[in-house]
Amino acid sequence: MGRLDVRNSAILLEKIKESLDRLNEKMEVFIEIQRQGGKPDFVVQDLPEALDVMTLLSLPDHLRKTAVAICKLGHATAEEVSEQTKRARAVESGYLNQLVLMGYLKKERKGRKAFFFVER
Amino acid sequence: MEAVGVGKIIAIHSYKGGTGKTLLTVNLAATYARKGKRVCVLDLDFRAPSLQSIFKLNGSEYWLNDYLNGACEINKVLVDYTPQCKCSGQMLVGLANPATEALRDMSSKDRKWEMRALGRLLSLKNTLLNDMELDYLLFDTSPGLQYSSINAIVSADVVLVISTIDASDVEGTRRMTHELYDLFEKKTGILMNKVPIEFLSTPVDRDSVCKRFENTHTLPVLKVIPCFCDVLRAGGTKIFARDDPEHPFTKHLDDIASKVDAF
Repeated sequence: MGRLDVRNSAILLEKIKESLDRLNEKMEVFIEIQRQGGKPDFVVQDLPEALDVMTLLSLPDHLRKTAVAICKLGHATAEEVSEQTKRARAVESGYLNQLVLMGYLKKERKGRKAFFFVER
Repeated sequence: MEAVGVGKIIAIHSYKGGTGKTLLTVNLAATYARKGKRVCVLDLDFRAPSLQSIFKLNGSEYWLNDYLNGACEINKVLVDYTPQCKCSGQMLVGLANPATEALRDMSSKDRKWEMRALGRLLSLKNTLLNDMELDYLLFDTSPGLQYSSINAIVSADVVLVISTIDASDVEGTRRMTHELYDLFEKKTGILMNKVPIEFLSTPVDRDSVCKRFENTHTLPVLKVIPCFCDVLRAGGTKIFARDDPEHPFTKHLDDIASKVDAF
């Protein structure tokens, strides 16, 4: 195999991995929704909601822990949130995406990494 | 990414007003400063600011209100109280604006503003503890469930809740710690203050009072502080931990400081 073929294969594999990561994140959200009884325990908002302390208090325990962690970290990946909450990265990824759907968090991609943050 | 520092944020809170929260905050800060620590005290009681009168400061060009409004950085707010503190450490003070207009302004903030205020309070861990290398940041808060006090609690590493033996205070504190603090999984310690001296005449009595409140709150009671006439008589004008190191009240503060460190 030529050097060019190797490089193309590496690029292709990288793209496949990125697609799988995104697919995985979506699956985690669906799994979380299923776990909640088939429908989300929230209404998807058009406008971002304020993630103030009263909102934090109203969140279910599992989401509050994630939301408080992201408030402290400011701008973080699911991996960084999981280090703070001591829960699995995949679990945090599901919760973070759920908070994005609820309008409390924003998400942006930088390369292969997805960052979550509160838009203040 | 949050940097990891060794400093500690301590919020001092209570269910009711008049429990001695501000006096204990100021004296705890002075205790740490006397031990050579670098300390900052912030007045987050925007409804009834009182640190200015205790520290007898003229104020600064900027207030904590301005910092939370995003009008300035925290270093513009802080006043260096070290020379008056007569301590081997350092003491910085951040004051809340006591003007009536400011009190009205702070009580009319919306949820978006409160969310941004929480972000600015949380960022103090980086600016004051990590960048400025302070050892302790103490928040003096409004009593009860105010936005500003819950923001302070969420931002703190440790919360000290001051309660008197008043039945409504004890019950309110118990409810507040379980319905609020537990949700945020905060390290919380109770300080029973202004306890009549006759309840604490022997070590057995002291243990019994301590156990009684620990059973009520199901939280550690870090200290049972007697009601000292000298402290009441001083009317909040004297910083005992600075001016009277041998006073029993100061000794209690030394003990509280050690317990908070070990917490």
